[in-house]
Amino acid sequence: MTQENKTPLLKVNGLCQYFPIDRRFTVKAVENVSFCIYPGETYGLVGESGSGKSTIGRSIIRLYQPTAGKITFNGEDISGDLTKSQKSMLRTQMQMIFQDPMASLNPRKKVGDIIAEGLDIHHMCPSREERHNRVAKMLEKVGLAPEHAERYPHQFSGGQRQRVGIARALIMDPKLVIADECISALDVSIQAQVVNLMKNIQRDTGTAYLFIAHDLSMVKYISDRIGVLHLGHLLETGTTEEIFGNPIHPYTKSLLSAIPMPNPIVEKRRVAVSYDYFTSGIDYTKGTDHLVSGTHYVKCTDDEFRKWA
Amino acid sequence: MEKKDKILSVRGLDITFRTTAGPVHAIRGVDLDLYRGETVAVVGESGSGKSVTMRAAMGILASNATVNGGTIQFSYRHADGSPETVDILKKDKKWIRRHINGKRMAMIFQDPMTSLDPTMTIGKQIVEGMIWHYKTPKNEAYQRALELLREVGITDAEKRMKNYPHQLSGGMRQRVVIATALACDPDLLICDEPTTALDVTIQAKILELIRRIQKERGISVIYITHDLGVVAKVADYIEVMYAGKIVEKGTANEIFYDPRHPYTWGLLSAMPDLDTSDERLYTIPGSPPNLLHEKPGDAFAARNPYALKIDDRLTPPMFRITDTHYAATWLLDSRAPKVEMPVELRARIDRMKKEAGQVDTGK
Repeated sequence: MTQENKTPLLKVNGLCQYFPIDRRFTVKAVENVSFCIYPGETYGLVGESGSGKSTIGRSIIRLYQPTAGKITFNGEDISGDLTKSQKSMLRTQMQMIFQDPMASLNPRKKVGDIIAEGLDIHHMCPSREERHNRVAKMLEKVGLAPEHAERYPHQFSGGQRQRVGIARALIMDPKLVIADECISALDVSIQAQVVNLMKNIQRDTGTAYLFIAHDLSMVKYISDRIGVLHLGHLLETGTTEEIFGNPIHPYTKSLLSAIPMPNPIVEKRRVAVSYDYFTSGIDYTKGTDHLVSGTHYVKCTDDEFRKWA
Repeated sequence: MEKKDKILSVRGLDITFRTTAGPVHAIRGVDLDLYRGETVAVVGESGSGKSVTMRAAMGILASNATVNGGTIQFSYRHADGSPETVDILKKDKKWIRRHINGKRMAMIFQDPMTSLDPTMTIGKQIVEGMIWHYKTPKNEAYQRALELLREVGITDAEKRMKNYPHQLSGGMRQRVVIATALACDPDLLICDEPTTALDVTIQAKILELIRRIQKERGISVIYITHDLGVVAKVADYIEVMYAGKIVEKGTANEIFYDPRHPYTWGLLSAMPDLDTSDERLYTIPGSPPNLLHEKPGDAFAARNPYALKIDDRLTPPMFRITDTHYAATWLLDSRAPKVEMPVELRARIDRMKKEAGQVDTGK
């Protein structure tokens, strides 16, 4: 793709996110993570639970105050204190879709009001009629009917609720949507529907996605580029083909080998490659980014790079 | 080969739940067989009734459930080796609690945090069953618990015995749950989405662990899951459930390489494998039916692009394909028009077969 000469929409440079527990102990959830997202592409962030993938998403949308590092979005630095105009830019241009649609939708509000909430807050709809029309159009776009606006979240099925979550994020016409495990809570057949919907919307509106998930086969399917995260470190990043075709880091290899494939004869014989950070002798803090090829980087020391590559 | 020993035999199970919105006909005639040492996977979307079926077998149905008919025959051996077969549905809860639950049939639930007692050390939870069911002396039970913890791959078992569930990671907790389930040497292990709450890397480890233990002890396992990758890894036989009915059953190879029911086609196509390059994923249109409003005919017809006219009127019977492979769809009737599975799925199955062939010859 010819994305190298475009300016990135989001640039994360050396992001650190620490959570102090007490005087002696600090949880280092994210350490020195750098990546960028170009307009209209999907960046997949994968890793096991506790690897900091959700934390990164939340730091970027500024639900947390980043400890260190620089986040540039839309040409503006959004990692420090935000001015009023930066805040309103960030809150309209970047949106989030959460994992559990039941927990993230207000049960006492009608779906139409949930979807229009962003418009109301930012005074983006002068007339009642326009607000109604935009909600109806959005509902149709995500595959629901306009009359659904009068219903409450509990009257929907899981897949429909997630569609409401998507509609709520997209009505602001954002440049970047952070999808935090947005399909993990859904059934297999519904997952495919939601992923297709997200792809269609991306094609029509050119929204960029930061797709956070632990299901690698879905990530592979939806993402243009992928970052592999473990214990707060971004170990390997590159295009989907580079990561899946030529994994370098032992953690990436073990992650890829653990995906169960729907092929019984192959699958019954296969044993997943195991990987244990504490016995592997790898120290993530010592690693630096090494270029493998193209946009494919792996974080390791020089010795390790020679050994693996 | 010796004659296979049947452990569980479910016939014509039919269950209704009373809800404020009206009766929900959740299970509509389920047949299922399980032999000693084998693994059956029950696959389906949420609400298809897979968990309810297994809960009925354990005798732990919710209080608003009514069993309208059917039998669940469970066979086991007494301590002296004499065989015994009981109908779980005819026994009262107390008897089941005393003789079946935990002792001969054990269940592993989805979320290890909710199935372990947060106020008890894990050691205590593992020995609890042994002491209650077999009156094992405390010391002996403790030693066995240590052995079990080691068997499920937990290091420094002595130290872990004194830990509480919250002190362990998700994978460790699920290992403890497995150890607890195995404490009384059950004949049948029911795993209800055992790895859904876990990471992929840990999921692979837990599945490999269950498979190893199953081989060593010769127990039978039932998996309830919606993840076809998991199914491919563990199952000998697969039962595909939809809206309270089994719509296709067969060996793992038959279901994956020669699926016949349109719903199975949909399930298989909806899951992207690592070689999928199509622009769009195949999806099953619509959502699972609401069992509150029962309609005549095939429950899947509304979502089925291959539905025939008869699907709206008559429920299809199970058509026999081979001795082990059955599917409930009118497409298999001799009068039905010939319908082939989607081309994308055909291509993928061919690719899978090729891959499998390479493994075979490579060995």
